[in-house]
Amino acid sequence: MKNKNVILSNIYSVLLPVIIALFIGGIIIAAIGENPFLTYQVMIQKSLFSAKGILKTLHFAAPLILTGLAIAITFKANIFNMGVEGAAVLGAFFTGVVGFSLKGVNPVLHVTLCLLTGMLVGIIFTLIPAVLKAYFKVNEMVVTLMLNYVVAEVVKFLAQGIFKDPASGYVSTYAIAESAMFKKLFNSDLTLFFFIALLVFGILYVIFKKSKLGFEITAIGKNPEFAEAAGMNVAKKIVVIMLISGAVSGLAGAGFLMSEKYRFTLDFSGSPGLGWDGMLIALLGNHSPIGVFVASVFYAALKTGSEYIGLFTNVPKDIVGVIQGILILCLSVKFVSRNTGLMGRWTQWLGKIRSKRENAMSVDGREGEQG
Amino acid sequence: MNAIAAVNLTKKYGDFVANDNINLSIAKGEITAIVGENGAGKTTLMNMFYGLQRPTCGEIYVNDQKVNFSTPLDAINCGLGMVHQHFKLVPSLTIFENILLGAEINQRVVLKGRFEIHLPFIDRRRERKAVDRLIHDYKFELDPDERVENISIGAKQRVEILKMLYRNVDILIFDEPTAVLTPQEVDELLVNFKELKKQGKTIILITHKLREVMEVSDRVIVIKKGRVVGSKPTNQTSPEEIAAMMVGREVMLQVNKEKKPALGNKVAYRVSGLSTNNYSGKKVLNNISFEIREGEILGVAGVEGNGQSELVKVLSGLMVSTEGKVQLYDEDITNKWPNELRKSGVGIIPEDRYAQGLCKEMSLSDNLIAGYHSDGKFCRYGILDKKNARKNRDTLLEKYDIRVADPEGAVSQLSGGNAQKVIIAREFDSDPKVLIASQPTRGVDIGSIEFIHNKLLELRRLNKAILLVSSELSEIMGLSDRIIVMYKGKIVGEVEGDKADSSRLGLLMAGITK
Amino acid sequence: MNLVDNILYDMLYHSTPILLAVLGGLFAHKANVLNIGLEGMMLTGAFSSALVVMLTGSLWLGLVISVLLTLVLGLVFSFLSVTLKSNFIITGFGINLFAAALSAFVLKFMKLANINVSSVVDVASLKIHIPLLADIPILGSILSGHTAITYAGYILIIAAGIVLYHTKFGVYVRVVGENEEAAKSVGINANAVKYAAVLIGAALCALAGMELSVERLALFTNNMTAGRGFIAIAAIYCGRGEPLKCALYALLFGLAKSLAINLALFAGPISGLFEIVPYLTIVVVLFMVSVIQNRNNNVRGFKLE
Repeated sequence: MKNKNVILSNIYSVLLPVIIALFIGGIIIAAIGENPFLTYQVMIQKSLFSAKGILKTLHFAAPLILTGLAIAITFKANIFNMGVEGAAVLGAFFTGVVGFSLKGVNPVLHVTLCLLTGMLVGIIFTLIPAVLKAYFKVNEMVVTLMLNYVVAEVVKFLAQGIFKDPASGYVSTYAIAESAMFKKLFNSDLTLFFFIALLVFGILYVIFKKSKLGFEITAIGKNPEFAEAAGMNVAKKIVVIMLISGAVSGLAGAGFLMSEKYRFTLDFSGSPGLGWDGMLIALLGNHSPIGVFVASVFYAALKTGSEYIGLFTNVPKDIVGVIQGILILCLSVKFVSRNTGLMGRWTQWLGKIRSKRENAMSVDGREGEQG
Repeated sequence: MNAIAAVNLTKKYGDFVANDNINLSIAKGEITAIVGENGAGKTTLMNMFYGLQRPTCGEIYVNDQKVNFSTPLDAINCGLGMVHQHFKLVPSLTIFENILLGAEINQRVVLKGRFEIHLPFIDRRRERKAVDRLIHDYKFELDPDERVENISIGAKQRVEILKMLYRNVDILIFDEPTAVLTPQEVDELLVNFKELKKQGKTIILITHKLREVMEVSDRVIVIKKGRVVGSKPTNQTSPEEIAAMMVGREVMLQVNKEKKPALGNKVAYRVSGLSTNNYSGKKVLNNISFEIREGEILGVAGVEGNGQSELVKVLSGLMVSTEGKVQLYDEDITNKWPNELRKSGVGIIPEDRYAQGLCKEMSLSDNLIAGYHSDGKFCRYGILDKKNARKNRDTLLEKYDIRVADPEGAVSQLSGGNAQKVIIAREFDSDPKVLIASQPTRGVDIGSIEFIHNKLLELRRLNKAILLVSSELSEIMGLSDRIIVMYKGKIVGEVEGDKADSSRLGLLMAGITK
Repeated sequence: MNLVDNILYDMLYHSTPILLAVLGGLFAHKANVLNIGLEGMMLTGAFSSALVVMLTGSLWLGLVISVLLTLVLGLVFSFLSVTLKSNFIITGFGINLFAAALSAFVLKFMKLANINVSSVVDVASLKIHIPLLADIPILGSILSGHTAITYAGYILIIAAGIVLYHTKFGVYVRVVGENEEAAKSVGINANAVKYAAVLIGAALCALAGMELSVERLALFTNNMTAGRGFIAIAAIYCGRGEPLKCALYALLFGLAKSLAINLALFAGPISGLFEIVPYLTIVVVLFMVSVIQNRNNNVRGFKLE
């Protein structure tokens, strides 16, 4: 009974923000003179109401599952690693380099090499903020944000310079070799990358839920002082957690490049970027692996659907970003604790009304006795 | 005339009734002691008087006027002030700034001798003058320009009192005022009480220390489980009677310690020349040396903030020492990490239960394996054996008599006493060679105190070495075989357990060694 | 003007938006609310001022409306983080993403790639040459010829110091940040103080944004704040919340930017890489400050922030 209540209130506490965000998004759409219902209808129909649409949604969910998990594992340990974006971009860039530099390699080997490159680059990139945080107590949030800008400038420099494909009309690196591409499956957009994302999801599920590391992540996130006193060697664990996050982020970038983009462009990560989408997804999924999975599919559906709204309405597809911002604002409220969050206040308020009524009744009762 | 009266006052938190139909009256110009165990509902009651919490139902009268406070400010304006157990002071501000906080005097400009303009700037000179006068009037010893972060705990308390007096209150509530004072400072405070009473103030003293109640109060009101269970003039009752009313049964006010000299036993734990600095580079531990033998309890006494916290932190691996050595039998365990210490056989009951000892939001079974979660018993190939952890929890709940509503739930549901027992269970069950126990009974009900004391003595009987750090002097004197006293990061004296008396220890705690 | 003059002039120039955001963030920081939303507030200021100036042609209207809109954003932030006690880091990121997305959305809807107001605003004429100062040989060329908001920013350093340390409001802000219980126990409305602190920050961010878009370039482009809000947060961290120190760090970061731009002229093919210098400088400075601050630290582990 109790468990059921907890699950229910968890669902409410996610549904409510989603509804609020869609509602405010609807007001904005109406404000520019468009029909919000039509807009949302197009979004959902195109992404969820056809087999092709669903497969496309799952295809776009794959990198989001990974960045979502990469953020969730650090957020759960109360580490604000914003470097997921940077790690994904940098990982993708060098994956691209390996993808187009090696020619005539066995596809399996080439794909493996590319994925490993992405992960390795992600790890190396994240090593900087991880060590700074763990051993020098430098605020990881500001450092990772600054490093993201560094990454953006560096890849811009490289993509405009030595790796630029002169045949391309805009700034872009060479396309990766056929042997490094994920093949489309079932005559749809879906590729093997989605199943790799599922595998990583499975591994991280075990880490989160069953492993000693998962136990320690929870403890560090909830009370780092206690974690240290219980012999968890928090500094070392922070490095481990950050590096896992970096590897998964790099993999996300690599896979997205190899399954969708095939070449690195300056808008590779999109707006606001895979890492930022991951943050929304981690919050929406309440840092739990299954939640992250569901949230990625939901958000991928929004994004996939948004590609079509331009065909039917005048609403720019950037509306998704607006909804994302509002959603994060709403989610920030319930994220801290159930008691202070919106839902908690709501139930408290209900409780207050109820107990007031009871009081009034008991006072009446007493008076009745006296009378 | 009554200073305060409560009629059918009730406070509920959800299903939990903190105060249940309280009826009491406090006479004007008297010192009334309100006593009761931790968690009996004293603080809730006072918070309602002071406007920090609103009653669920019932009425409060101050000076025979019905009142309905929604903030402490309303209470202060009505002449009711409170000195909290945890001082509400701002460390970086000076004493006079703290006293005038919220009642600042602004600079004024007088134009043509008629128009007065208030500027937004604070007039420090006039503020100082006002505080000087106040300090002089009440004969307190304070330098108004000192920053609060640099003054002693006794002085902080005097600042709190002045803060209230500046606001012209005539009813003063003191919440556990002596908990952190040396015996001499307690005496001083009791003198201050009598002085305030002479000046016509009404004083309400919330405490669980019966010596002060007997010495200074005119009337005692006993609260148990949210109800008033007794109210008597102090001169018509005895400490034993009050204690029995508080707990609901006869209590042993003294710990029964079987005497067994440990003098000839092997040295189990040796600390030599231990020093460390705090964040700002100040030496907070200065050349600490002591040894504990098998079957011995070594007590560490001292006013809080004289290095005991840091000592425990260094010994439990949460802080690094800059000099010195720690030995467990023949093993050098200086500056080892907490997990290594546990492996070597050091059990730790940390000072702050909810900061270092437990994780409130995690489950009981998780908390009961924390620190030992890498043992083969609970963890194989990096995967936790949750089933075994639950089995472990069920055994320990039973063995250590931990009362819990929902065994699957989080630690946050437990009362202070039961939460502390969770730590005791975890650390004792791992069979440590030496136990470092810091404030093991702080904020714990009398039943749990008895239980914990008995467990400590049991461990002593098993020939283990125990370091007991506590600010509760009676606990230290009751349990320890030897007592060392810390002052400003140094050991200033050592006393045999059975030769210790509070006045001797009190002088040492104040740094007077002659 | 020679190179050194240029570098120093540009230092003041590039420091301004950071400085304004620092001063704005300072109040919130002192009141123990970390305002990550500075970036988004600055962007909103930049966007709305440029938009209003484009639509109405009035600089003053641009100023007033951008301040008002940013204050609304500040109200949202404080309502969520103070009243509803949200996780204010997440709320701040929400503000940033929302501001960036909304401006991109509006631009797309208006079918614009950016907002160019150069036909309305003559950037050169907005630079004020201070009569006597401008005539002093070297100093004049560095200190004179800045915009009104730039001068305001530097005057505000002193103003912020006076407000924080010598007025009732400033004392309350610091007390609320240091010991909220103490503030509440003497009847200070802690939440109101926090709201005020956040809103001051929002207003100053609007100024910073307007300086960036309208006053400096007469142009708004997507995400043009480029992390300046976070750079301001880094400066607040490094300066430990003391107005003068934080302002100095803002200047230091401005200097890094100015060096990168002025020296890139000589770097030839790798000049593009100089863009990373300001960001790397911040990481290095944060690292050094942290090492210095923690040099006496003997405590192991981390505390909940």
